[in-house]
Amino acid sequence: MRACCVTMSSNLGHPFVPREFRGKWNRSAYCIQGELGRGANGRVFLAHSAGKKVAVKVGSEAFDILMEVNMLKNVKPLSGMPIGPRLYEVDDIVVQGKPLTFYAMEYVEGEMLDVFVERAGRDWIPILMIQLLSRLHILHIQGWVFGDVKPENVMISGKDRQMRLIDFGGVSKIGHAVRQFTEEYDRGAWKAGDRRAEPGYDLFAVAVLMVRLAIGKEAWRRISQQERNTQTLCDIIRSDSNLYPFRQPLIHALCGKQASAQAMKNEMVAALQGRTENRPKGKRQDTLGTWIGGMFVASLLLSAGLLYLAWM
Amino acid sequence: MKKLATMRQILVVTDGCSNTGISPIAAAALAREQGITVNVIGVIDRDQMEAQGEREIRELAQAGGGLSDIVYASQLAQTVQMLTRKAMTKTIQHVVNQELKEILGNSDIEGLPPEKRMQVAGMMDDLGERSNLDVVMLVDTSGSMKPKLFAVQQAIHDCSVSLRSRSGKSRMAVCSFPGKYSHMEVRIPWTDQVEKVYQLTDGLTMSGITPTGPAIVEAMALFEQNELPSGLPDEYGSRGPNDDEGLLRDHVF
Repeated sequence: MRACCVTMSSNLGHPFVPREFRGKWNRSAYCIQGELGRGANGRVFLAHSAGKKVAVKVGSEAFDILMEVNMLKNVKPLSGMPIGPRLYEVDDIVVQGKPLTFYAMEYVEGEMLDVFVERAGRDWIPILMIQLLSRLHILHIQGWVFGDVKPENVMISGKDRQMRLIDFGGVSKIGHAVRQFTEEYDRGAWKAGDRRAEPGYDLFAVAVLMVRLAIGKEAWRRISQQERNTQTLCDIIRSDSNLYPFRQPLIHALCGKQASAQAMKNEMVAALQGRTENRPKGKRQDTLGTWIGGMFVASLLLSAGLLYLAWM
Repeated sequence: MKKLATMRQILVVTDGCSNTGISPIAAAALAREQGITVNVIGVIDRDQMEAQGEREIRELAQAGGGLSDIVYASQLAQTVQMLTRKAMTKTIQHVVNQELKEILGNSDIEGLPPEKRMQVAGMMDDLGERSNLDVVMLVDTSGSMKPKLFAVQQAIHDCSVSLRSRSGKSRMAVCSFPGKYSHMEVRIPWTDQVEKVYQLTDGLTMSGITPTGPAIVEAMALFEQNELPSGLPDEYGSRGPNDDEGLLRDHVF
């Protein structure tokens, strides 16, 4: 069913937008070329403005659109790595005497994550997840979580294979409730925790996303129609040859064990390089640190053993 | 910005028309008068809902100052979450707009340039996150709802998860209608966390009647219990609506 793929599906309505219009405040002219997609809060169009291609998002609820703009502005790129589309301007279109709020942003040309994987091959999945985790980490250290991690919200640009997050409707301040999410990737819906915005919320979604990409659309559809239980995900990770090497970062993320996106990324990189990282590195630890580290490893091994027994 | 009082919502989950007692639209108007927002979700199977049911749902939410949506049972959990959140924003927008009108004279928020409105939106979002929220979920358990009750039960847990993820204090109560002895029955009294084992279908009354209006009126009494001074004995504060049904009728009808 189509509806289950849409973020917070609703009949609250998508507004009518004229083909050509001018912003009420800044007077920029736009000419709509076509629709790029529909998000939870509105429609996104490709438009021409001042001789360049831009993406324009229009929503029926001004509040939701304004909050998205706030979030786009709040998230700063770090060391030149852009996270989302660049924001150009916010303005109103007056349609039949009523103002509709919209914003214009950089048009990110490329493919959605799942489309890209289907075309480019599943070998790309771990690399894409590592790219995604780098971007999420930048968001997290600035005090935000992305919230609505799903294939539809991640774009791979055609030219340089760079990744961009689109649709900032779910971006939430750490410590607050997640503003917007999609059940299929939502920790709450999988009964694995609450919806408080913290890095672990996004990491859980990344793990689910990786499973979704590895098994493909059809198999995923069958799974998402069953009752959600993280054990189902763990079973898939154990039995899928593409996922098995990444069982450590994935299961840690499903259980909320990683402290940061960086930690999950490190585990992913280690798994990709074919070594399991279950030993603290670095020689500068004092004896207490080593001892605690040792205990941690022991407890990890113990719990891994218990898990293994439980699975048998 | 001053702190908002606790926001109060009734969320009606139904699949059709009310067929007994006071008009649900009148009941919703009354609730709104008492500062309680009424939201409505219509749950459908495969078929479309009858036009009459659809209209009642829409008008009910309009009269109750809330929002409505008609969805499949599988979409229920997420719809509950979304509607609750959007209705809160709507309430806050209303309050903020009133205050802005006082400051700006005739103009309202739409008259502000987008940059300023973004700041106002950020402030409203923060208020929504921090304010306290009380939600009574009012579930239609008349005959035709039976096959959908599992989805409702999941939506109740899901709502509880969302509520406890907020920064503000939130509580929910769950009632079903029709009740055994009155129009509605409290299934889960005020709580900040619904037990996982909770079964909505346990001890359910089989009935063909759908007293949506009377149930809304009785659900309003749950909010009144809130306002009892904390010094009163517990057994008085937690008195079920069944006990003061007579009292309520005297007041309302």
